[in-house]
Amino acid sequence: MLKVEGLKKNYPSFSLDLSLIVNKGEVLGIIGANGAGKTTLFKAILGLIKKDAGEITLFGKRSDELSLKERQDIAITLADSSFSRYLTIKDVGQILKEMYPSFDPVYFDDLLIKFDLSKDKKLATLSSGMQTRFKLICALCHHPKLLILDEPTIGLDVIGRNELLDLLRNHLCNYEDSTILISSHIASDIETLCDRICLIDKGKIILACDTDLVIDNYGIIKATEAQYQTIDKEYIIGVKKENYGYTLLTEQRSYYRENYPDVITDAAGVDDILTIMTKGGRI
Amino acid sequence: MKIIISHSSMIPIYEQIIDQIKTLIRNGSLKVNDPLPSVRALAKDLRVSALTVKKAYDNLEEDCFIKTVHGKGSYIRSIDKAILSEEAQKEAEKEMEKVILKCRMLGLKNEEIKDLFMIIWEEQC
Repeated sequence: MLKVEGLKKNYPSFSLDLSLIVNKGEVLGIIGANGAGKTTLFKAILGLIKKDAGEITLFGKRSDELSLKERQDIAITLADSSFSRYLTIKDVGQILKEMYPSFDPVYFDDLLIKFDLSKDKKLATLSSGMQTRFKLICALCHHPKLLILDEPTIGLDVIGRNELLDLLRNHLCNYEDSTILISSHIASDIETLCDRICLIDKGKIILACDTDLVIDNYGIIKATEAQYQTIDKEYIIGVKKENYGYTLLTEQRSYYRENYPDVITDAAGVDDILTIMTKGGRI
Repeated sequence: MKIIISHSSMIPIYEQIIDQIKTLIRNGSLKVNDPLPSVRALAKDLRVSALTVKKAYDNLEEDCFIKTVHGKGSYIRSIDKAILSEEAQKEAEKEMEKVILKCRMLGLKNEEIKDLFMIIWEEQC
């Protein structure tokens, strides 16, 4: 569905260099700290910035070869883009209707009611959380085959975030082949939705894995200096110095649970993994 | 179909799904040819990724508990009662092993374990 091969983009103080594939019907999450390169990646995919090297294909074609019909099958939300603040929600609905033949006015109205958005409101009067929700409504209301969502949960409270994820789950359920590329700087915001996740740091992928493998197998080990010296490092992939000794990241927590019952081994969240892999060192 | 997932459990989520579907089959809540929800639908209900549910369904299919018809969905297969009771027996075996291991760790002798078993057994009857 979407293929990024050897993408390179160089800025004076930052360079992006990565490859990834999003298969049809899959949800891929891109997780990285602020400035890791998430938005640069998304902009390169959409052809909004010029890439220095690499090949990007959507629906098997280069992005500049896509037909109008294929473009209409893609929906995008970017963190720093929106419609004019002087338009009303009704106006935006009208624009979307003209732009997308598959625009579904009934679904659009349903979602507005669901999120308590009045059609006569100007976008300028919406709270930032409401603007975030409205962006996703605009993206979903023409039933796209591919959704490219850059930080769609940003600025939302827990309830708003879960509503938004449920909305995406509904979409996935109704359109089994639909595909999503989604990013966040907080893994726990999106990890329950994603089939696979890619952690990126300084423009490179540092981990790409099935989400459930991460949740089931990865672990955080908290070891004292003495324990650290004796522990088998075979399955340790990251280490961070702490006051009490070391925090270790393992891809095989059950191995350490069984063989070192005295050492504390917890399940690792994706956010823990990101922290240790970016701020800690490798073994 | 009612399935409840624990996110803090050490049992992987796909295994929890498998176990609970098997239990639903065993206790008759799911019958032959009953349709299972689609992968995405169950993922939505449980708020887990679709891949997790797919993994559970693939495992159940491998073990011949369900069949998947492409484009139609997954259904409960007619399951030999013998397989079901074998499954149940395996599960009981696992639990008993755990109990015996625990008894040994506590330093109980074989005879003591047996006696303890018989006492509790009689209390239950």
